[in-house]
Amino acid sequence: MFEFEFMRHAFLGCTLVSVLAGTVGWFLSLRRQAFAAHALSHIGFSGAAGAVWLGVSPLFGMIAFSLLAGLAIGSEGEGRGKIPPQRDSTIGLVLAASLGLGTWFLHEANGASSMATTLLFGDVLGIDTPTLFILAGVTALCLLGLVFLGRPLLFSSLTPEVARARGVPVRLTSLGFMAVAALACSACAEVSGALLAFSLMIGPAATALRLGLCPAMGLLVSVLLALVLSWGGLMLSWITDIPIPFWIGLGAGIFYGLANLWTRLRTN
Amino acid sequence: MASPDNLVLENITLCAGQTRVLNQVSLTVPLEGITLLSGRNGAGKSTVLRACLDLVRPEKGQILIDGLPPGMACERIGYMPQGLSDAALMIPAISHVMAAMDGARWGVPVRFGQRKREAERLLALTGALSFSKRPLGHLSGGERQRVCLAQALAGQPGLLLLDEPLAALDHDAQQQIVALLVSLTQTLGVSILMTSHETAALEGKVTRVLALENGELHVRI
Repeated sequence: MFEFEFMRHAFLGCTLVSVLAGTVGWFLSLRRQAFAAHALSHIGFSGAAGAVWLGVSPLFGMIAFSLLAGLAIGSEGEGRGKIPPQRDSTIGLVLAASLGLGTWFLHEANGASSMATTLLFGDVLGIDTPTLFILAGVTALCLLGLVFLGRPLLFSSLTPEVARARGVPVRLTSLGFMAVAALACSACAEVSGALLAFSLMIGPAATALRLGLCPAMGLLVSVLLALVLSWGGLMLSWITDIPIPFWIGLGAGIFYGLANLWTRLRTN
Repeated sequence: MASPDNLVLENITLCAGQTRVLNQVSLTVPLEGITLLSGRNGAGKSTVLRACLDLVRPEKGQILIDGLPPGMACERIGYMPQGLSDAALMIPAISHVMAAMDGARWGVPVRFGQRKREAERLLALTGALSFSKRPLGHLSGGERQRVCLAQALAGQPGLLLLDEPLAALDHDAQQQIVALLVSLTQTLGVSILMTSHETAALEGKVTRVLALENGELHVRI
């Protein structure tokens, strides 16, 4: 299968996206923001639809829309004192507004049904060289962002109130992280589509967290599982002709189920 | 780090929603040993602690800890909020302590081995070393309090602000935590300002009591 250029591109794209999904997804799951991962990729779909209407690259539209939405979601912060953040409500409202816009954009972009299908389900086999460069740039930018935010992000994710008391700029950290997450979701949607982008972000990360690992090990396992899922999905898709998002979604569920079983057996 | 000399309230007016917690209070309290902040439910004890951490701002006046406003003194203060945190319960206890050690600095953690040894030392101090590798969610209330105390001690603070550290613990666990707090003041020289309704468990252990009532704060030795 590696004799074909599109397959080599697909594997490279999956590698970049998996590294990103594994790391960003771990923090999203730790912060209980799986819904944000789900929403951001759908919001990216609306941006991509807008870009199609305007005649520019869908990936740029996806990134721009996700970034704006990520900042809106991040502005919710970590709550105050005994009042928890209303993250789910904020995410739901931003998602609803974005999908409304996306529907309008698709309506305005004539003959958009095939484009909509591509955006929703991804087209990993259609990744060209310029897209690979963009994915590499987005991955590098996100990883640099995570390295910079590292310690305050981890501290405020574990105990936000204590972190704030120690002088951590929790709101700024949250905003920065959501910007990184928005970029990452756009990149993931390029491989597995807007509908299932979050499966690559949340499946491996949730599995790693379920295993009760320390942050460093959890991040490593999350990235490795994301690589296994995307590469495995690509190979199985090649063999069976079933779309890659199916294999990623199924694999994510199986990994989590196995981790759950192992944890229960170990605890008992 | 040496424990702060005193807590100074200068003409403080502090509110929590519609409730006036402190009404133009001026007071200087020496911080040594264990200071208990007492008051009925809803009197605003937690709000006073949070004001000492710059988590809520007074409407008027200023608070000084060892001569510094709370925002500048935060590195000298360890904090344990009320109630057991339900965040990140799947992460091992030791990781919670390590994250607090240099969590206010940008960038990724460095010197992993040194940080791990320091976290283990703090967990040993609070009697939590034996379960430090278990996820926080697998620990009992008393065990989690010990981990939270170790987290509050990260960064070698001179003052610990503990919000209801004895809540939801049985009698034996309360006695053990009180003994631990007394031991920390003696071995590390830290001062403790804490709130608690469990006054019986603290009898004979506190240096002074601050009574919060109707917007006023009185010192009782």
